Order: sequence, then structure tokens, then C-alpha cells
Amino acid sequence: MLQYVIRRLLYSAVVLVLASFLVFMFVTVSGDPLAALKITPNVSEETVQNIIERKHLDEPVPVRYYEWVKDALTNKFGTTLLTDEPILPDLWRVMKNTLQLVLVAELLAILIAVGIGVYSALRQYSVFDYSMTTFSFLGLATPVFWLALMLQVAVVQIYLATGRNVFPIANLNSVDPGEGLSFVIDRAHHLVLPVIVLMVANIATYSRYMRASMLEVVNSDYVRTARAKGLAESRVTMKHAFRNALIPLVTLVALNFGTLLGGVVVTETVFSLDGMGLYFVNALGTNDPYPVMAWLMITATMIIIFNLVADITYGLLDPRVRYD
Amino acid sequence: MRKRSLLPLIGVVAIVASLVVGPAATAGPEVAKAGTVVFIHDQEPPNLNNDLVGNGLYATSLVMNRILESGAYYNAQARLVPVLLTGLPKLIKTRPLTAELEYKANAVWSDGRPITGADFRTAWRTYINPAHNVRSRTGWEDIQRVNVKGKKATVIFKKTYAPWQELLSASPLPTHKVQGQNYNQLWLNSIDVSSGAWRFQSWQKGVQLTVVKNPRFKALPTMKLDRVVFRYILDTNARFQALKSGEGQVMEPQAQLQIADFRNDSNFEVQSLAGFSYEHVDIQFGPQGHAALKQPYIRQALITGMNRAQISGALYGTIAGRLPVLNSLIFKTFENGYTPHFSAWKFNQAKVISILKGKGCTGGPDRPSAGNNSIFSCPGVGRLSFRFATTTGNQLRALTFEIIQRQLKSVGIELLPRFQVAGTLFGTTLPSGDWDLLMFTWVQSPASKITSKDIYSCGGELNYMKYCNRKATKLMDATAQELNPAKRQTMLNQANALMAKDIPSIPMFVRPEFLIRNKKVTGPKANPTLTGDTWNAHVWTTK
Repeated sequence: MLQYVIRRLLYSAVVLVLASFLVFMFVTVSGDPLAALKITPNVSEETVQNIIERKHLDEPVPVRYYEWVKDALTNKFGTTLLTDEPILPDLWRVMKNTLQLVLVAELLAILIAVGIGVYSALRQYSVFDYSMTTFSFLGLATPVFWLALMLQVAVVQIYLATGRNVFPIANLNSVDPGEGLSFVIDRAHHLVLPVIVLMVANIATYSRYMRASMLEVVNSDYVRTARAKGLAESRVTMKHAFRNALIPLVTLVALNFGTLLGGVVVTETVFSLDGMGLYFVNALGTNDPYPVMAWLMITATMIIIFNLVADITYGLLDPRVRYD
Repeated sequence: MRKRSLLPLIGVVAIVASLVVGPAATAGPEVAKAGTVVFIHDQEPPNLNNDLVGNGLYATSLVMNRILESGAYYNAQARLVPVLLTGLPKLIKTRPLTAELEYKANAVWSDGRPITGADFRTAWRTYINPAHNVRSRTGWEDIQRVNVKGKKATVIFKKTYAPWQELLSASPLPTHKVQGQNYNQLWLNSIDVSSGAWRFQSWQKGVQLTVVKNPRFKALPTMKLDRVVFRYILDTNARFQALKSGEGQVMEPQAQLQIADFRNDSNFEVQSLAGFSYEHVDIQFGPQGHAALKQPYIRQALITGMNRAQISGALYGTIAGRLPVLNSLIFKTFENGYTPHFSAWKFNQAKVISILKGKGCTGGPDRPSAGNNSIFSCPGVGRLSFRFATTTGNQLRALTFEIIQRQLKSVGIELLPRFQVAGTLFGTTLPSGDWDLLMFTWVQSPASKITSKDIYSCGGELNYMKYCNRKATKLMDATAQELNPAKRQTMLNQANALMAKDIPSIPMFVRPEFLIRNKKVTGPKANPTLTGDTWNAHVWTTK
């Protein structure tokens, strides 16, 4: 397996280099990053020239790419185009924020979805099963931005009716969040609405997978054998069926988690959460290729790592899988 | 084993508990205590040094203009009034241009050091240093030397610089903080000095920036509030919802339909006034533009076929009341000296058809008709079908285009949409000259009219229309050297009259600016200039 992991990591490094070069090229040829600056009235020519020299903007694309790689490796992703500020501290900050949001949303979604999926499978065609199926389709069909907006509107209406601000509309914390536990509680309070939004779609997806997987397992031969051996139903369900039914879900969650770490653009934008998604949108808006490249490298790395994690986990859970 | 398997469960329970307990623990509006105002804004400063390239944003001005206060600033009536200065800078002599400024005796930095003429000299030296990545050196590089005597500074220019008074009213820089420092790296994330009503306290990036009262600020009455918190909410809808739910008390929205909702809410006051930014449609005169646009009668047909009053009414009627059509490319509707030369071109669809037919154009309609599909072709210039470029993602611009397109189509002129993202439009398309009509906004200040030559003179730095009128150019060039404001005004109006005949650009309207305040906060008053709506923060109070 070690050999497999090393081989995958080597492939991944090549993919990263190629992806970074392609994206750098596309970003570069899409336009002069200083074009907007150059048409701004009264901008100093010396200042524009300083930036061109500092960022090698008058060099051919391969040279600029080489300079970017050098800067990224030796100088922690380097600095921004115009303001020459280090990129990594900002990226690190937004990564932590996104991680908090995604982790809480994923954990809760998995917990609820697994429960729903298992129970729906065990009580197939019951009222609960039909209700959850309906909920899943609604959850999958509901646009994230619409749900987020509706939740915000609902909170405002509650405030107007009662004078109580049950949940904050936006941002990561209050004006005075306090420290320690009170900071944690305040942060959790601010994440309630975004977490609900993220959870809805994930619960819908995961619970469908879990239900289908569980149905397949409970009707399999080895579960029937376990029952025939006289094992208690709870033991059959939890020990033999549930664990095997989890395998496809684990893979799905791992892949999804890697993607989500790149930022949940819509949720972060609507709730003004200072996360990876919003960082990417803002970086695009400023036409600065360097934060975009840094974001891309982090996101691509996350996706590659979690793809690998998914593959490895799959093998660990299912002994039939072999790594060649 | 059992204990270990319980850990994740305990973690999840803790998270769920915190989500449930959270609301009860922190419920209530964001006014944490009396004396705090939360100002909701749509953009966060990239850093705190507003002089550096990549900054110069209004979001930064809102915070920093009250930390590095100006010698004099534009008030709500767009009049220059002294703040740190004893009076407006005085002209000593015209050749060479020499002017004098003096800081008030009680003008001090927040660390107790007096603000002196040396601090103005430091600002000058900082801005002209080629190693510093400052946005603009305009005006500063025309200064020969600065003589300092205590609170006074005498500034001698190399050549005449018409907006000298505004230049000398700029913020002084603290010599004791700036000297020996790399200005490119100074005040990026914090600033430990202030000459204004408040001083910097903290900045939680991506969330909020907090400033607190500067008790040493005596140049104007000391700020009544304890602090102001700028909360950064980038999503438009979330900003309005946050204001409504009490998460903030003051906001400067862009023109949005949600403003109408606040106008009807007795808990809020909506202020709107015309600003210095104006929307206009530029016409391309260069080789890549449509040949027809070089013909004066076609440009006359275009402006006559647009009902500009109807457009501004449709865009802003419900949120800003009646917004007058702009009929000058230099002066704004509310400014002294505004002469509406472009009002000669009144909306008249029948006249458009008559102009075109009179010049031998064929194929168009005989009378204006909403359902018309016939487009005119004119001798030597072809079909009157023009590429109309503007930014994507701006509902008001999309609506403007739609109205203009319909109005012109009903008289036989076709507009083809060429919407682009702002970066491409302003970065590539606009400078390339490869467009026919291009609609955008010039963001200006009261002193911008002196530099109108950059936009409208022959070969002007920002003249992307490639328009050239030698007489108008001579007049506009002369205003940059003219120190007498009355004479400047006359010359600019003469230039505007010439441009109104040529129609290089169609002025649409001055964009309205808005300020919404929760009535629990008193004092905020909209300011149409880049001084920002925090200009009078020293008088703000909370109920």
C-alpha cells in the first residue's frame, strides 16, 4: 500500500505542476493585470514601473511562471500584485474559517443523514421513509442561495416581530465576541444559518446514499446468514449491515469534503463569511493572479489528498480492494 | 476502547450544544454598549495605507480620513472647510506660485506631538520619493520646495498648479512615524497614530475594523461616541437584512430597490443626494469605431433619440425621487457654474427620423414605432447598427441599455449589446478603442473639472473616444494653469458648449448617493465627495 500511496503522490505532484502552469497561463493571457491601474487618472508611472519590475510583468509567460513558482516555494506563495502584501496569512485565515464551517456542517449532516438513511432502509415504504424521501428531493432541489436568503428573511421577520435577534444574518462573530468559551459560543451562533444551509443539501444526498446502500446490504446473503445463525437483530444491523453499508458513503464524504475545503462560494458570499470561497471571488475581482494561483494550489492539493484518502479508506473498509 | 469511541460523539454533542446555547447567550442587537455605532459597509480596505497603489478605495477613506485627518475637507455642501488648518491655504504670489498654510495651535497627533509645517513637508517628500509605490504624485511633483516655520508651511511650486488649494489641504503625515520607514510597508494592518476624530483600535480581517475616540483631537469638537465599528458585509441583500435586524445602524448602500423599503420604515432615515460620479455614453471617433459615428448628424440623432429623463426616472424614481438629467460633461447639476449646454438636444423621436431622412438615409421607419424592425442605412457610412458596451452584472446598467435600445430601435437605430466584466471592459476594451458606444461612470471630486482635459482634449490621457476639438482643448489646457476660479469656470463652460455641439459623449445623470441611518443614531449626514460620510463623525451620538 505504501508503494501505491507514493505512486499516487508522485502522479499528483505532476498533476499539480501541470494544473498550475495551465491556470497561470490562462490567467496571464486573459488580460493585463495592470490594465485597470493604467487607466486610473493620475496614477504615477514610476509606481506602475516598480510593480512591473517587481513582478516581472514585462517578461514572457514561462519566465513569469518560473518566478511565481520560485516565489511560491521560497516565500510562502509570495505577495499580492499591487499592495505587495504576503498572501499566506490571509489564505491561512480564510482556510481556518472555511474548515470550521465545513467541518461542523459535514459532521452534523453525516450524523443526521446516516440515521435517516438507516432507519428509512429498515422501515422501507413506511411514512417515515416516504417523508424523508420527499425531504431529500426537496433538499436536493432547493438552490443554496434561495434557502440562505429565506433563512435571513425569516430571522429578520422574527426580529421585527419580537425584538429578538435569534441568529446573526452575516459575518463570523459579533462586535464584541469575547474570548475563550464565549468566543466559541459566539462563533457557533454565527455559523448556525450557514451550517443549516450546507447541511440541507448534504443530508439529502448522504441519506439517499445511505438508504440505498443499507437496503442492498440488509438483503445480502451474509446478513441472511448472520440472522440464520441466531444473532440478535441489533447486532446483525450494527455489526454486519451498518458497517458495510457505510463504505460508499465514506468515499462520497471524503471526496465531497476535499471539494468543500476549496470554499463554499455561495454560502460564504450570502452570509459574508470570510472563507476560501469568498477569498477566491474577491481575488478574481481584483484581477490579481497571485492570490488566485495560491488559492488554486491549496484547493487542488486538498482535492488530491482527499481523493487519496477516499481510495485508502475504501481499501481499509473493504478487504476485497487491493492496491496494485 | 469504549471511551475512545465516545469521543467523537461527545464532540458532536458539544458542537450541537454550542449552536443551541449560542442564541440565548448572545441574542440582541449588535449595539454592544452605549456610544458604539456599527457602520455596515460593502467593501473592506485592502490595507490601511490609502496612499499606496492598489488602495485609494472609498472603503479605506471612510476609516482613514478620520485617522489621518485633512488640513481641510469637503463638507456636505462640497465646500472646502478647514479642519486642522487655521483657514484655507492662502495664495502668496502667482509667479512662481507660492502658497501658505498654517495648522491650528490645538492640532496635535494622538501621541501628543504638535502637528507642524514639517509634517506637510514630510507628506510632500514621501509622495515624490520614486521608491514609494504611491498612487498619485499629481501636484506634489510640481512643488519646488516647502519652507517650514513652526505650524506654518510655505509652498513654492515649480509651475502653476490650478488645484493648489486642495493639494495643500491634504493630510499631513507624522514626521516622527514616517521618517526612516519603508512607506510601502507602513500602516498596512494597523496604525498607531492619529490626527483625527478617532484612532485605530483593532482589525479582524474579513469581519470588522474598530476605531475609538481620539481624546487629543481638538481641531473640531471631540468625538462624542466611544467607538465606531465598521462591519464588512459583502452581500447586498445581507447588508440590508443586517441593518434591518439591528446588526448595524448606519449604511451607505449603492442604488438598490431595497432602499425604497427603508424609506417607508419609521425606524430609519434615508438620505440621498447627487454625487460627483456621472453616468455617460461615450462615442468612438477612432478608426475602430463605426464610420457613422464620425458624422455629426448621426450623433445628433443618437442624443435626440434618447429620453434621458425617462431613463433616470425609471432607474431612480422610487428610491431617489426626481433625478435631473445631466446636461454638461464638466459641471454637475448641483455645482456653481453648471450650464446645461446639452439641454439643446431634447428628446424628439420624430426629429431623429427627419434628421436621418434629410441626410439621405434609407430603410428606416417613416414614424416612430415601438414595434419597428427597420434600421436606417446612411450614405457612405452604412447601416446604423452600433455595438454598445458596458459592464455585466449591473442591473441598473442593463435596464438603461434596454430602454435606450428600445427608444433608438423605434426610430431605426440598432444597438447590439456587448456586455463585459468590468476588468475586461476597462482593462482591455475601453483603451483599445474597439467599440462604438460605451457606457460607464466617471468617479470624480469637486476639483476633477480642472483635469477635464485628460478626458476630452485632443490626445488626452483618458480620451479613449479619440475625440478632438482644438478650440476646446486649448480652453481646457488653459484652465489647468488658471488660478482664478471664476475665469476657470468661464473657460470650462466655453469648452463644454463646444462639446455640446460635437457630442463626443452623452451625459446621462449624476449618480445619487445614499445614506441610511437607524434613528437610534443621530448625526450622520451624507457627503457627496470622497471625504466620505464619516466626515462629521465627531457629532454622531446614540440614543
